Formats: sequence, C-alpha cells, structure tokens
Amino acid sequence: MKPNLASLLDYYYESMYPELKALEEKRLSTMATLKKAAFILLLISLILFFVLHQAFMFKPLHAALVSGMSAFLIFMFIYRHESAGYSMLFKDQVIEKIIHFLDPSLIYSKMSSISELEYQRSELFLASYDRFVGNDLVMGKIEGVDVRFCDLHVEQKVRDTDNKEEWVDIFQGLFFIADFNKTFHSKVVVLPDIAERTFGVLGSWMQGMNVQRGKLIKLDHPEFEKFFVTYGDDPIESRYILSHSLMEEIVQFRTKVGKPLYLSFVDSKLYLAMHYTKPLFEPILSHSLLEFTSIKDYFELLNMIVSIVNEFKLNEKLWSKR
Amino acid sequence: METFLIVTGVIIFIIIVMYNTLISKRNQVDNIFAGLDAILKKRYDLLPNLVATVKEYMVHERITLEKITELRSKATTNTLTDAETVALDKQLSSMLGNLMVAVENYPTLKANENFLHLQGTLNELEEQISAARRAYNQSVTDYNNAIQMFPTNFMAGFMKLKRKEVFSIPVMERQNVDVKNLFQK
Repeated sequence: MKPNLASLLDYYYESMYPELKALEEKRLSTMATLKKAAFILLLISLILFFVLHQAFMFKPLHAALVSGMSAFLIFMFIYRHESAGYSMLFKDQVIEKIIHFLDPSLIYSKMSSISELEYQRSELFLASYDRFVGNDLVMGKIEGVDVRFCDLHVEQKVRDTDNKEEWVDIFQGLFFIADFNKTFHSKVVVLPDIAERTFGVLGSWMQGMNVQRGKLIKLDHPEFEKFFVTYGDDPIESRYILSHSLMEEIVQFRTKVGKPLYLSFVDSKLYLAMHYTKPLFEPILSHSLLEFTSIKDYFELLNMIVSIVNEFKLNEKLWSKR
Repeated sequence: METFLIVTGVIIFIIIVMYNTLISKRNQVDNIFAGLDAILKKRYDLLPNLVATVKEYMVHERITLEKITELRSKATTNTLTDAETVALDKQLSSMLGNLMVAVENYPTLKANENFLHLQGTLNELEEQISAARRAYNQSVTDYNNAIQMFPTNFMAGFMKLKRKEVFSIPVMERQNVDVKNLFQK
C-alpha cells in the first residue's frame, strides 16, 4: 500500500495519539516555564533599567538597550535549554514514527548526519566552510535503491567592513544522496540558473567562463535550461546521465517543490540539495501536536523526499547496474 | 604611429581569437563524432553474437537478420564518410527496433539467458548512442552558429569552413511513449 494522507490519519489516531498526549503535556509545561521566565526577565530588566538610569546616570536609550539586550540573551539561553528536551521527544515520537510509517525498513538517527567527505564529494558547493552541522539522518533502501538524507547547515565565517565576525550560510536545507541507476565515470553538476535568467545571453557567456566548474553543457531541453545550468567533464556522458526523460522529471520536480535545486552526479551516485530557510524536522513550540494539521506538513515533506526515488525512476536500473 | 601600432595589435589579437574559437569548435565536433563512432563500434561488435543467438529461434525473421548482417559489414568498412555513418546507423537502429518487437512472438527466446544479456547490453548502448547524438548535434549547432554569425563568419569564409549537418534524432527518442496511441494502431 502506498502511504497517503488518509492512511496517515488512521495511523495518527491509532498509533501516535496516545503518546502525543504525553508530548503535549511536555509542550505545555515547557511553554509555562518559558512564559514564567519571560515575565521574571521582564521585571528584572525593568528594575535594571531604572537602576542604570537613576543611579549610574545612563541615558534612557542606553539603559534600555543594555537591560533589553541582556534580558533577551538570557531568555534565548533558557529557550534553547528548555525546548531541546521537547525537540528530542518530538523527533522520537513524531518524526521517527512518520518515517517508519512511510517505510518501516528506513533507519532514523536524529543526532547523525551525512559525512563531510560525502558533502565534499558531491561538489555542489565549492566555497570553503568553517561550520558543518547536520542532524536527522535517514538511511536505508527505498524500492531497492540505497538512499541517505539529512538536514544540513553549512556556514562560512567572514569578517565584515568593521572587522566583526559574521556567519554566512553556504547551504541550509535538505541533502539527499542516492544510488544512480546508470554506471558512469565522469562528473555532472546541475545548479540553479541565476546568471542566464538575469542577464540573458551575456549570462550564458559568463557561465561558460566559470573555470572552477569545468565545461558548460548546453542541453536540448528548453525548460530544463531555463531552470538550471549544467557543468560536466564529458559532453557525451553528461547527456547519457541527463536523458530526456530524467530532465523532464527534474523539471517537474523543481516546479512541484518550487525551491532552488542543486544536483550532481558523481561516482554513479546522485546528490541532491534543496534549499530551505529553516530547520526541517524541528517542532514549533506554539503549535499543539494534538491537531492533525501540525503533523501533516512533516509527513508531506518526508513523503516528498522519499518519493524522489520514484519520481526520478532511480529504481529502474539499467543492465550494467543490476 | 603609436595609435597605428595599437590598432594593428588589437586587430591581430581579434583575428587570433576568432581563428582559435573556430578551430576549437570544429575540433569539438570531430571529437564528439569520434566518441559516437566508438559507441557505434561497440554495437557492431555485439551484432554477430546477437544474430547467432536469435537465428535458431526466429525462423520467420530471416530477412531482417540478413539485412542486419549486411548493414553491419557495410558499416565496419573504413571508407565511410560521416554522413554515411549517420545514415547507416539510422537504418540499423530501426532494424534492431523491429527485431526487438518481433522477439515478443518467441517466448523461448525471451527466456534465453544469453539473449537477455545481449538485449540488456544493446539497450544500454542505445542510450549511449542517443546521448552521443545529442552531444554531436549541440556541438554542430555551436559550430554552425560560429561560422554564420557576425563577425566570425568572415573568418570562416577565409578558412573555407562549411556548415555541418545535424543528426535528425528519431522521433521515437524524443517523445514519451504514448500508450493510448500504440493500442489504437
């Protein structure tokens, strides 16, 4: 049976609901603690404001900034500490259950991620990075195809004009690796097309000049070319990998998800990165899990990821891969 | 005097760039054609095996098999031009397509291990050939654009570069199979 929303609804009420009630209690107590902390911190910061203003002769703006900022930082610290416990429970009782509902053979490990070596091997992002954090690794076989995916956040430390340190995102979102259904030896990288969209022919010329990436491969699928720019070592093998049907499927997938998509094909593997602006599998403290809608989004996201294998027909292996 | 030297220098530089661009585009076409040729050869090597395997089973397909053998021996002689290679490959592809359809009528053949292996390898080669054709077409298009567009067209004229023909890709490869249409036939 293919998992769908209706069967998830049954599963939700039969297998998840009793445990979610316990989780809901945890959520409410966390919320209560946070509210209490916020109230006390507000009082303290008000007192601090008056003390600074009256006794130490701070200007009202400065006093407000100092007291407000310190209260905010302390609150963030408490928030992180308090919500971490809830988040762990949430992953055990919601994310893991949804994954097993989609495919019981998949293994979920909330603290692990793909390795840095795999990230580098994909060659999707060439910029050097200083922080590599990932979690929520899922691995196993979907329809006989080896897959691994996780939530990944890669950042770079830069100094701004005032010589202040700043963390800049290189990538945040879903990182997905699967066995590809064809054997190949060269490397193909497919990136969102920004230059050609913005600058037209001039942009296309600029793409050809990208020495870091290798040869520009122009493909005979107009819609695919609109979304993506492709680089590869070998013009024939690049087209062997990106067959007409695969390009069609990638375009459809890209249209469906509506997010920037990065793909690469290296060592007979497919690497896919999808950009998100928030962590993928974290709970929202203000939403009750006793409402089905708050579970639905996680299910749809996971279902979309698991369906990549089918959408790209990775299970239809060519002769030499069987 | 100085201005004259600078202008001459710039003109010579532009001529060199244009010349090199055209040559590299022509070489790219040749290079990809060589890649295509290599894959086609792989398929030619496979054909005697295939014919030998299916001959015992396919009693009604004698003519197709003979035709395939004939085309293969024509293709492996070394005197073919690019265009002839392309034409032969097209014929051979459609012949093989027909043969694979006819296989449906021979259940014992379909179960033959050796045949299945050959069929798998052939399918894969077919995919590679299709990729090579597409790569070839793109390189020819780039080359044709360069020799027809301003200002490289003047340079191409001096170098006596001629337009090259693109492969017509079989319509079958471009479209997804329309099952409804198949049944109506």
